[in-house]
Amino acid sequence: MISVVIEQRPQMLARAAEGDAHAFAALIQPLLDPAYRLAAVMLADRSTAEDAVQEASIKAWRKLGQLRGDAGSLRSWFLSIVANECRMVRRQRWWNVVKLAEIRPTQGAGNAFDAAATDLKSALLRLSPDERLPLVLHFYLDLPLEEVARTLGVSTAAAKSRIYRTARKLRSDLTLEEVF
Amino acid sequence: MTREDFRRELGDAFDSISGSPDPALSDRVRSALVEAPERRGPVWIAALAAAVIAVILVGVLLVGNPLNRGPLVPGGGGSNTPSASPAPAPSPNPSPTPVVQYICGASSSFTGTNPPPSALVSDVRTGAHADSGYDRVTIEFKNGQPESIELRPQTDTKFMTDPRGDTVTLAGKVGLKVVIHSADAHTSYSGSKDIKTGAGFTALREVRELGDFEGYVTFGLGLSGTGCYHASILTNPTRLVIDFQTS
Repeated sequence: MISVVIEQRPQMLARAAEGDAHAFAALIQPLLDPAYRLAAVMLADRSTAEDAVQEASIKAWRKLGQLRGDAGSLRSWFLSIVANECRMVRRQRWWNVVKLAEIRPTQGAGNAFDAAATDLKSALLRLSPDERLPLVLHFYLDLPLEEVARTLGVSTAAAKSRIYRTARKLRSDLTLEEVF
Repeated sequence: MTREDFRRELGDAFDSISGSPDPALSDRVRSALVEAPERRGPVWIAALAAAVIAVILVGVLLVGNPLNRGPLVPGGGGSNTPSASPAPAPSPNPSPTPVVQYICGASSSFTGTNPPPSALVSDVRTGAHADSGYDRVTIEFKNGQPESIELRPQTDTKFMTDPRGDTVTLAGKVGLKVVIHSADAHTSYSGSKDIKTGAGFTALREVRELGDFEGYVTFGLGLSGTGCYHASILTNPTRLVIDFQTS
């Protein structure tokens, strides 16, 4: 299904640009999973993340005319809209409240690996959402540095620097080689 | 630590934060896109936004003194704000700029403007929002706002099931009964009929389906504390959202 979507991307993009909502829905369908994961990590709330992805999809649909480049640019463009939506959700705290209730501490005394994993998770959640963003894009969604840079709207060098700087906040002894 | 170790550890940590998306997310997005208003140019949107803001401003000026108004807007026709039975007298020392006004002890209702023959309940979920002082229950509808929704507070948590008439007692000290007409909760909803909230919730203790019979869907909500609530109808997707004050 996904490969079919990728092969037909240019045609679907053209149809979407002409106002075909179904074509646009098919076009972004493979991107919903990474979009959700990005939003869930930025917001630390799964339900709010799904709402944010839905809202971002509608905004992307309305802004489709602003997409620069071909269908290959779609992923970074769409993820940047999702990231912006997450920022907006966090700003509207009176209505769309970001909670950490779903993040439950590990019960009982686990083994050393569990403890390390919990430490890393706690450290991630202590980062600001914007600090988590480049890490999610590069390490979780496996985007190449160039695409991370496009999503963040910065140069590749700046994206690399942000990733390394933030990774060092998680593990201060990390070397550049261990990160990239 | 190798690069692969670091990536794997990070991936595991991210996985535990995000989990997997709801399988229905794709359908939900598709549906929202298809139902979304047609795309327009930015100038058109700006003009529309300006017109809407102007209408709202004029409305506010005409109605006057909105901040000292009671928490409810009485009214008949379809609305996304609740109409309600008489509310308690306003506090002699109201807070200067309340963001959300909670209803305490008064019933309220919503009326759908263009309801489907039977609004299909598609999801029921709860959320704790300790930072902002409320717990939330959301009842989502697949195909639009139902004909009517009534919210009836009560001073205990004993509810009668429909149609059997059995008495059930929910967790908590006070209750809120939600009566939805015309609706059904068996066509598009297969989730839990009895949600008991856990740690993190201080106001909302239990959400239980009391009945789904002859077009009436009834939920009983067991609450701790005052039972003060704020209800609204949101769209895309259509959902009833009830927040219970926790602080």
